[in-house]
Amino acid sequence: MWFGPNLQRSYKYMMFASKMPSLRIDQSDLKCKNGCDYFGNPQWQGYCSKCHREQMQRQRKAEKASSATLPKPEQKKQEKGVKLASHSSFSKFEEKRLRQSETLKKANLLKFSVFKKSNTEDQEHSSEKRPPEFKIPALVNEGMKSEFRARFSQLPAQVDRDARVFVHSFIMDVIKCANVMTVDELSERVQRQYQRFMKHMDTSSHFANVDSDTKELLMDFVEKHAMTYLHELPSVVFSPSGTDDERLDRAMSERIQQLSWVGERHLECKLDRSNAECRQLLYKAISELLGMDSALGPGGKLSRVRRACRHVLRLCSAAPASADDLLPALIFTVLKANPPRLVSNINFVTRFCNAQRLMTGEGGYYFTNLCCAVSFIENLTAESLNMDKKEFDCYMAMPASIGGSSWAAALSLCGAAREAGAQRAAAARLLQHTSDVKQAADLLAANALSFEEQITKKVQDVLAKTPLEIKPRRELPRLGKLQEISTAPLIDLGTDRGEPHPQPAPTPQRPAPAPPVPALPTASKELNVTLDPPEDEPKLNILGFEVIDRQSPSNSPQNLDQTWDLKQTSSLELLTPSPLGFTPFDSRSIDELMTPDDFGNDQLPPGLSNINYDIDLSDFSGDNSIAEDAPKSEPKDPFSPDALKKTQTFDPFAPQTSRGYDTAIDSFDEFSFVDQKHKETDPFEVVHRGQDPFSPVEWNVDLGKDPFSNQSPAKQSTSILDDNDSPTTGCLLPSPLQPQSSGRPN
Amino acid sequence: MAREFDHLFKLLIIGDSGVGKSCLLLRFADNTFSGSYITTIGVDFKIRTLEINGERVKLQIWDTAGQERFRTITSTYYRGTHGVIVVYDVTNGESFANVKRWLHEIEQNCDVVNKVLVGNKNDCPSRKVVVTEDAQRFANQMNIPLFETSAKENINVEEMFLTITKMVLRSKLEMKERQNVTSKDTVHLKNNIKTKKKCC
Repeated sequence: MWFGPNLQRSYKYMMFASKMPSLRIDQSDLKCKNGCDYFGNPQWQGYCSKCHREQMQRQRKAEKASSATLPKPEQKKQEKGVKLASHSSFSKFEEKRLRQSETLKKANLLKFSVFKKSNTEDQEHSSEKRPPEFKIPALVNEGMKSEFRARFSQLPAQVDRDARVFVHSFIMDVIKCANVMTVDELSERVQRQYQRFMKHMDTSSHFANVDSDTKELLMDFVEKHAMTYLHELPSVVFSPSGTDDERLDRAMSERIQQLSWVGERHLECKLDRSNAECRQLLYKAISELLGMDSALGPGGKLSRVRRACRHVLRLCSAAPASADDLLPALIFTVLKANPPRLVSNINFVTRFCNAQRLMTGEGGYYFTNLCCAVSFIENLTAESLNMDKKEFDCYMAMPASIGGSSWAAALSLCGAAREAGAQRAAAARLLQHTSDVKQAADLLAANALSFEEQITKKVQDVLAKTPLEIKPRRELPRLGKLQEISTAPLIDLGTDRGEPHPQPAPTPQRPAPAPPVPALPTASKELNVTLDPPEDEPKLNILGFEVIDRQSPSNSPQNLDQTWDLKQTSSLELLTPSPLGFTPFDSRSIDELMTPDDFGNDQLPPGLSNINYDIDLSDFSGDNSIAEDAPKSEPKDPFSPDALKKTQTFDPFAPQTSRGYDTAIDSFDEFSFVDQKHKETDPFEVVHRGQDPFSPVEWNVDLGKDPFSNQSPAKQSTSILDDNDSPTTGCLLPSPLQPQSSGRPN
Repeated sequence: MAREFDHLFKLLIIGDSGVGKSCLLLRFADNTFSGSYITTIGVDFKIRTLEINGERVKLQIWDTAGQERFRTITSTYYRGTHGVIVVYDVTNGESFANVKRWLHEIEQNCDVVNKVLVGNKNDCPSRKVVVTEDAQRFANQMNIPLFETSAKENINVEEMFLTITKMVLRSKLEMKERQNVTSKDTVHLKNNIKTKKKCC
């Protein structure tokens, strides 16, 4: 009773769960759902293995119908295979597989591949559903098209099309057959495909004009693209399912690791570890061997091997590099390189490389050597290394990490050296870059310099044409004043000081307009000064105040002149007083004797003008209102300096005037010049103001008065400036005359 | 088909190390000899084109490693080989004794292949160890043409290569002819060799 419900429940549960209550289990329940005589299996959804397989095939067919269809032969084969495979469990097979003798290998491989498929049905479905496998060519086509255009541009388009069609069918064919055939069969099929294409090239009219070399290139081209694509598909051509490749890869890798202690002396190859070049070659060979795995097509792998072996050949260049030397060296290289997936790579090339090329040609030769090296390593014994068995066993028992440290060190050294080389190259590049930058900088500097020189030259030229003009202009108005005043013996002293400097001063002012480089301008100034001084010096000498003149000159004269200009410009409106100056000038020109005094006046006015500048604001304001009165005030103290200056400037003018004797006209022209120059110099004046202080007290009074006189002429000159430009040059000449004239009077 | 050759043959040079395989190759392909081992050129793989009966034949000659320990692994060399040149050193009796082993090696790896026996370094009578008569008798037993050459003095080298080339070419043409009929001849050849070997 107590069990009743439980039993019932369990019974019910059993009923619903499996429909096969143990109590009522029947033969028919264990049979295949399909009704055939075989027993079914819940794993196979109640079908027997055969029916289940058929069921799966039907399902698959339906799926494939929508996407791409697998070939029928494959399905048939799979069905057959299932019968074989269904009897052994996977684990059993695995054991068997490992125990398999070579003679039985082929049959078992077939079983294995099929069995695996039946076991991994779902995976297969997904892989088969993958559209890219069956509708490849989009990407491959593009790649082929572009490469064909690049490499075989002279060939007709038909060839390109043929090649692509072949690659397409080739890939399709391989994918179809990959699941059905053993690797060896597939390899044969691939080789037949190659031959088919060769035949096609020989017979097709499209290839009539293609020579045999190009045909071989085309063959490689086709092989490369087809195999590159297939290579990337998992387990189709590269370490395909159904082969031991992967396991052998691991075994080989471990084996090589274990043999890391094998050195050059064991293999009797003459390698010099201490030789840097030798190390480099070995390093290169190893890196090529390692690169073999990353190359996709068999051709690419082959060329990697070829390059590696060439390095190895050069490695054993001590003797005439024959096979006797090459093979040991190659073995050594392989041992040191331990290339990844070595067995898979070799098998891949062996199976799917165009056999004709593999058996002939340099690549084939070296590849053969590599195969030999690998098989040597596989079968390596104490005997093959010419060493004692015990010693060999001892070495082999040693942990892999211990052996071969010296070569490992040498090679790591190589790697480090290579890295260092790369770094050095980078550093060299940087150095180069900096030197380039430096050069560019130098060039820029040189350009700047030359530019400066040009500017200074131009400035000098301009100065050479115009320097003296300034003086006369200034002087002219001053002269007028001087004439008016014609007084101030005291002023003579001031004039002396001012004279030498005013000349240099103007020069700097003019260069200033193009002042890019201060240094050069200074030079130009010096030149100008040197030019001018002769004129000045005589004056100085005459005056006898040389020392004093030189001290004050640079500061005062410039400032004075500039200030003058400023004042004039600013007070243009007030020029009315200037007329007063003119009249005296005229009289002056007539009175040549006064010239010496004028010199003094000229010098003084600049200095005075500087001082005036400070006062300018007040003065001007005052001047404006009292402009007319100013002239009267000037005559007193200020006029005397002004007069002196004017006398200097006046002297040159005097000659002019003497030439022309039309005093009125000349005076007008000159004034205009002066004004122009003054205007130009104006900007600079501001800078110079600071210097004024040197002679402030003396000059102040004079300046304040002088400017007015100057201003007035400036205004006039502005109007007439243009006409007078040429005359300025003429003024220069007179300047030298001035000193003389001034000297004479003195 | 504007090929620069009508036939492409792969020849193999085998023999103990140091018998002068590389020198033979060098002499034939480049017509040079480096007695003092100065050259830095790899001589392991050479190509030369000959003209025989108006047919251009391109020879690809592969050198092989002759060391004893590599003997078992060199099977891949034999793949696709048309002719084998077995070399021994007339000044070295051991190398001659090993010829038998080399021939056995060939037989294991190739079905049908043309062979020549070459006694190299035949330029110094005083040092000669392998008497010509012995070698000739052995060659006759094996049904293999014998050449005594000197790569150093360039004696018989050209003739030897020409002979092997002619042999290879002839057997290839015969093969072509008999492709329609049966390959009886080839079988016959093979049998011949085997019987000879047994005799030995």
